Parts: sequence; C-alpha cells; structure tokens
Amino acid sequence: MFSRATIRPFLLAITWIPVLMTAREFVHVSQIKGKSMRPTLNPNDNSTDWVLVKLFRPRHRERNDIILFRAPSDPNVIYCKRIKGLSNDALYLDHKDMVANNKSQLTLVPNGHLWVEGDNTHSVDSRSFGPISDGLVLGKVLCVIWPPERWGTNLNRWVGRDILAPDTDAESN
Amino acid sequence: MTILKTTTTLLKCFCLLHQVHVHLYEFTQTRGESMLPTLSAQNDFVHVLKHKKLIHTVGGPRGLRIGDCIVLMKPHDSSQRVCKRITGLPGDIIEVDPSYDNDFDNSFIRVPKGHVWVTGDNLSYSLDSRSYSVVPMGLIIGKVVAANDFNKKWYQRDSITNKINFLGYRKIDNNYTDCK
Repeated sequence: MFSRATIRPFLLAITWIPVLMTAREFVHVSQIKGKSMRPTLNPNDNSTDWVLVKLFRPRHRERNDIILFRAPSDPNVIYCKRIKGLSNDALYLDHKDMVANNKSQLTLVPNGHLWVEGDNTHSVDSRSFGPISDGLVLGKVLCVIWPPERWGTNLNRWVGRDILAPDTDAESN
Repeated sequence: MTILKTTTTLLKCFCLLHQVHVHLYEFTQTRGESMLPTLSAQNDFVHVLKHKKLIHTVGGPRGLRIGDCIVLMKPHDSSQRVCKRITGLPGDIIEVDPSYDNDFDNSFIRVPKGHVWVTGDNLSYSLDSRSYSVVPMGLIIGKVVAANDFNKKWYQRDSITNKINFLGYRKIDNNYTDCK
C-alpha cells in the first residue's frame, strides 16, 4: 500500500521537527489576546495583533521593554506586559497627584525581580500580584508582524505611566 | 554533497538532543548541603524529568504532590538553580517555621494559587521558602526521580538484597505519608 518512495519524504520531514523546535527557541510568533496592552498592542477590537518574540533569554533587561512571562498564579498562562521597574528600583504605586501631596507610597522592587504593568489602566499586573521573579520571563516582544497595516508600529510611543522615583528618594527609602 | 549531508545529520542529531534536554530529561550535578540525607553535598548527579505536565500541574497521577523533590530557579537569582522538596501545595496553610518554640513568633500563611512551598531536607542548613516565602510554579524546572552517587565505588554489592548497584544509583521516592 505505502511504497518506500512515498514514505521516505514523510520520514525526512519528521527528522526536521527538532530543528524547527530549536529555531523556535530563538524567535517565535505569538498572538496577543485581551486589551491590557492597549493602546500599544490590540488598539481596537476588530483585529488581534501577532507579534515577533525573541525567546532567547536576554541577560539584561531594560525599562519599557515589552515582555512575555508566565503568570505567577498559573504557570500555563502567559502574560504580556511592560517592564516598569528593574530590581532595586524605587517606584510610586499611585498617581502623580497623590505623590505631590505625599500620599503615595514608595515600593522597592526586590533583587532579581521585575515590576511589570500593562499600558491599559485596567490590567492585571504587578499592581495586583506584586513584582515577578526574573526567572518567569520567557521573551521580549520585538515588533508587530500582523495585521499588515500595523507593520512598523513604534512599541515605545506610549510607555504607560511614569512611576519611577528619583534616586534621591530611593536612597532615603 | 557528502559534507552537506553530514552537516545536516549532525544538526538534526544536535537539535534532537537539545529538545530532549529542554523538554524531557536532564542529568545534572547537584552541590550544597541543603538536601543532605537525600543527596550528598558534592559529586551527586540527579536524573530530572522536565515534561510540562509533570511540573506545571498540581495533583493527579503525574502532577506535583507534597513530598516531590524538584529543581527550581532561585526566585532572587534566576541563573542559580536549587533542589528542594515540596512541602506545601496551593491552598495549604503552612506554619512558616515550626522550630520556634513559642506561639508568638510563629506565623501561618496560605499558599496562593499557582505557588508552592519548598524546603530543603537539611532544615538547619537550607535557604528555602522559610526565608524567601512561596515560589511560583513557573520557576520549577523539573522533578528529581533518581540519583547517582559518584562518591561510591562504580559497583557495589548490596549486603541485604544481594544485588549489584552501579554507580550508587538509587531512586528518589516520594516518601510522604499523610498521618490523618
């Protein structure tokens, strides 16, 4: 029924699967669901964005990078948020007006942890579950690749609220 | 043409090995005194199973259970890996340090969803959940199922069962019993 000549291409294709899986560890295409990163990603309800993700673990992280990480509450769920604070940063938890009235509290991100927030105010992020461990980070979002009219979107045009406390405050804290 | 063929075959073999190493199985050395009666402080190698279903689910026949020996990333330094034993699952109420005598110093916490409480077997010499609190399950790398002790002779005859034991191989069981 199956001659040798028909099976052989299939077997050859199967041997390439591990190579493809290894390639996927460097870059990966991923769909963004939900509106927590609005207006940067998923700006309207009509379409969902597909983004290119660099999964290869970068050793250094920068503020305002968009990252994918495993949710602390469920390891099978992956969140996409923006880094707002690196380890040992002092951050304001609340709005600037509260800061001006000295009503805001400062929080210190522990060593080896990151403070992540969605661009949308209504997002489940570090404001609800606290700083996340650096080991949960999976990758960094590089660019939007689908839909085509959103090619070349500047991901850092809107970087969320400004919550980083000046260094002097961090020292006094 | 033969060079090309050899290169692709080598590439495929390397990638296959890499995938097994990332997703299924790892054989690594452990160091440190924190698991002392179970794993020795040096020259001890562990067999780690890393399948997603084993380490990212709780309960069931294959998921995480209390008493499982796991390898996880340190919460405060993701480049370091530690080997600990699970002593609390999501929803359990944990006494932070039972070694305190008086009730006032003790605090109880409930392990949140998706987190585990881990402690080393050598409680007096272990940096674990008692100091860094609960650990998210996303940091778990794998489950330790067996170990080879290279401190021993490469083969040894067991005096009781009269079987030959190669390279100090032993299974690491989940010896937890619920004393209800």
